[in-house]
Amino acid sequence: MRDLEGFTQTQHLILELKPNLKVNWLAFALGKHVKGDLKGAVDIIDIFLSTLEEGSTDLQKNYETSELALYKNSIIAESGRWNEALDHLIECQKKDIIVDYFSWLKMCGFYQLQLDSFDEAKTTFNKLFERGSTDDYSVHTGYMLAILKIGGDLSKRMMKAKGARALPSLLVLTDAQKTTLKDEYKNQLLVQYPKSAAIMRIIMMLLDIESKEWTDKIQSYIQTNLKRGVPSLGDDLSALFLCCCPDNGNEYYIAQDPVDVKSHKAFRSISNIVDGIIDSLEGNSTFPNDDEIQPPSTLLWAWFLRSTLYEFAAEYREAVHFIDKCIDQTPTGVDLYELKGRLLKKAGDIHAAAECLDKGRELDKQDRYINNMTTKYLLQGDREEEALEKMALFTRHESDPEQNIFDMQVTWYELELAACYGRKKMFGKCLRSYVSVEKHFEDIHEDQFDFHAYCIRKVTLRAYVDVLRWEDSIWGQDTYVRAAEGIIKTYLHLHDEPTKNSEDNEIDYSSMTAAERKRAKAIARKIKLKNEKKVLEEAKRRDADDAKTKSESKKSVKDEDPDGLELLNKCHLDEAKKYAGTLVKNAPNHLNTWLCQYDVSIRRDKALMALRALFQASHLSNQSKVMHHELFKRIIDFHENVKLAEGSHPAVVEVFNFEKAALLGSSSKSLHEFVLEWYEHAKANPLTALGLRVEISKAMLRYKVRSPMDASNLIIENGLNVRDATLNNCVEALKVLKSIEESDDRVTEFAALARNMYYLSSNL
Amino acid sequence: MKEIEIDFGGITNDNLEQLRIINSTSLPVSYPDGFYKDVVAAKDESLNKFAYHNGFVIGAICCRIQKDGDASSNSSGSSKIYIMTLGVLPSYRGRNVGTRLVQSVIDYAITSEDCKKMGIGEIILHVQINNHDAIKFYERLDFERGEVVENYYKRIDPPDCYILRKKL
Repeated sequence: MRDLEGFTQTQHLILELKPNLKVNWLAFALGKHVKGDLKGAVDIIDIFLSTLEEGSTDLQKNYETSELALYKNSIIAESGRWNEALDHLIECQKKDIIVDYFSWLKMCGFYQLQLDSFDEAKTTFNKLFERGSTDDYSVHTGYMLAILKIGGDLSKRMMKAKGARALPSLLVLTDAQKTTLKDEYKNQLLVQYPKSAAIMRIIMMLLDIESKEWTDKIQSYIQTNLKRGVPSLGDDLSALFLCCCPDNGNEYYIAQDPVDVKSHKAFRSISNIVDGIIDSLEGNSTFPNDDEIQPPSTLLWAWFLRSTLYEFAAEYREAVHFIDKCIDQTPTGVDLYELKGRLLKKAGDIHAAAECLDKGRELDKQDRYINNMTTKYLLQGDREEEALEKMALFTRHESDPEQNIFDMQVTWYELELAACYGRKKMFGKCLRSYVSVEKHFEDIHEDQFDFHAYCIRKVTLRAYVDVLRWEDSIWGQDTYVRAAEGIIKTYLHLHDEPTKNSEDNEIDYSSMTAAERKRAKAIARKIKLKNEKKVLEEAKRRDADDAKTKSESKKSVKDEDPDGLELLNKCHLDEAKKYAGTLVKNAPNHLNTWLCQYDVSIRRDKALMALRALFQASHLSNQSKVMHHELFKRIIDFHENVKLAEGSHPAVVEVFNFEKAALLGSSSKSLHEFVLEWYEHAKANPLTALGLRVEISKAMLRYKVRSPMDASNLIIENGLNVRDATLNNCVEALKVLKSIEESDDRVTEFAALARNMYYLSSNL
Repeated sequence: MKEIEIDFGGITNDNLEQLRIINSTSLPVSYPDGFYKDVVAAKDESLNKFAYHNGFVIGAICCRIQKDGDASSNSSGSSKIYIMTLGVLPSYRGRNVGTRLVQSVIDYAITSEDCKKMGIGEIILHVQINNHDAIKFYERLDFERGEVVENYYKRIDPPDCYILRKKL
């Protein structure tokens, strides 16, 4: 794959043999482009165009000519020659060959920003509004960049933002900048396009949160959407919870952690506004300052919105109170059960959540989404058989539901199922499910072969190049990364505890030698296989009648090895290493990649690789200015447990020891000092994540840094007003606190706080 | 209170549970599975329908055709429409929803060709004798209070009911 040099040479040969075929020219140009010879690619296209006779269809306005011109333009732009690119676009427009005018305008506007031609850029983006792109946030960003006269790399980065992120929610703007944009938006755009939601939302982003104007506009926006009945209104408003990034004070991120949300001014204001609306609706069925009588559904959505706001603040009791009001009023609303289910899950009771979601599912058996959510919660509650029954309600009737799930590449199901099996210690099935995800990605990777001939013939070259580049990156995509991490964790667990598999729990392996163990396991496997064969044959006899009616009799890949025995029998460490390698190569910006690489390396006794992994992880951590507790844990572990192999070259030993010390921040620091430094850091930053507090505390106890009282205070002192106060972290925190002898009232108080937030959990 | 906008929709196996909820919040007796199966099997949206408001099911009416005497007699007035259940969620009452549900069945009975062919002469239903709100509701729609049927109900008190009729 990707023998780009070879491809280009072959295409050159083909072109010389048959220069009269257009596809040969295009393929050759494509080869040069993807190889990196951008000027060469443009030259080939120019030469091709010069071979055409006047009046040829490839010079007239049609889809193929247009696409070729825009493709050539995109290559010029890739090399950064904005002026040339812009001139080329204008020339194409003069020749009137462009069909995709939308792309033309977007590219034109982008080049004008890069060239600092801000007035022209503004005109171009305006034309896009006129054509109807008033709700395309990237066009709005371009427009705003033009007005504020921001070009260069910053504008390039801002234009790449996805979804509903527009300039004011990405970049911290000065008051003067905000006023300029506000005038433009309120006085020009809103007047021209009064129905555009994007324009309304951007104006809200530009107003000062403390001002009455902001409050009024937000209230009016909320009221309009409550009347319409928009379930996602809470999520929509959450885009206003903007906080400055810790690593770059000029940019924003959207607050996710409840602690950040609760303290945000916008959140508080919005909560007050909604409370006011609810009071007014409950009192006399009208909005505040309005006379129109609202139907009961408006109050329903107001309660629903209040519930979602409490969800953001992790106040689950209050949230459930409001959603219960909704369900009381309108027990036939499917959306209501979905929200309640999610709240019950977050409050700590996954089974109640699954039951709640199932009630919603029963109301509308045609709703696949609610069926899938129910399935997901059942899997998270370790009820995989019921989950499969629910999935089977929507799979094609002729085939086996598991087979259909595999054919449809339902990766969310496979990931949840694998995690479920992992928790139940059914590791063979767990691995098999994760490996299914890998198989899907291999298929997706193979799909690109189908595109080649077609795309070149149809001249959809911009899209084809995008697909090629995307295919190169799929091994770093979230779904695959989750599967790979799952596989690594499972294999490492099997490596550490080879007998902890629910399938062989009758024989005591601990007293045998390695060879005996292997033989005993092989015997156990054979017995198991025999039993399975018996079951299969019985099933076959039963199915003999059905087999005649079944039209699909081909054995699928999935039926082989249904219990994942082959996967279990592979060498655990080698497989883990293989997957860790894929992650390192394709997902180097994920922290977990390096943590997995560390875990694998220390078991392979590769101390240097482990050290390197920790350095990479630290580098990522420094960039984001957040020390993750899993990284902290491993740095401590490394210093305590990891040694170089005996007989290593003295130079290696020297480097190792030097770098090992450097990992702590400087070569003269001891582990004790490192822990103390982080203790002081956590003390100085009251919002420090609970997970990190717990790990620092554990380290303090272990290395006798300060007193046990200090260690326990570190965890308790800010209660749950800290980041990352998840249920799991609370459970860990309580474990550590209970192990410290000086348990006192404050520990009980902390436990009470946790039990109050996660009031349905049975783990606290 | 102000009238709210409603739409009608059919009852199928996939949304049957909604009917159960409407009935359980509106009616004192619970109906067996057979009742619900028959409603779905009838596949007749003119007689069995939901009332929707802003996308939510808030009410429902279920009726069936009752033929009197021998099936051969097709003289006009020999068949009736019998209202089995009528319900509206408590929070949505008083907004003309129930009225419009019944009225739609009345309109169907009067104007439809099928009803004319079958000779539908009247709409009838049973109401528990102490359910004064229901009696007033139907009287507003020009139903007349007919005879008492003693011990109609098995498990609730009083067990007697009136027959209410509306001649078409």
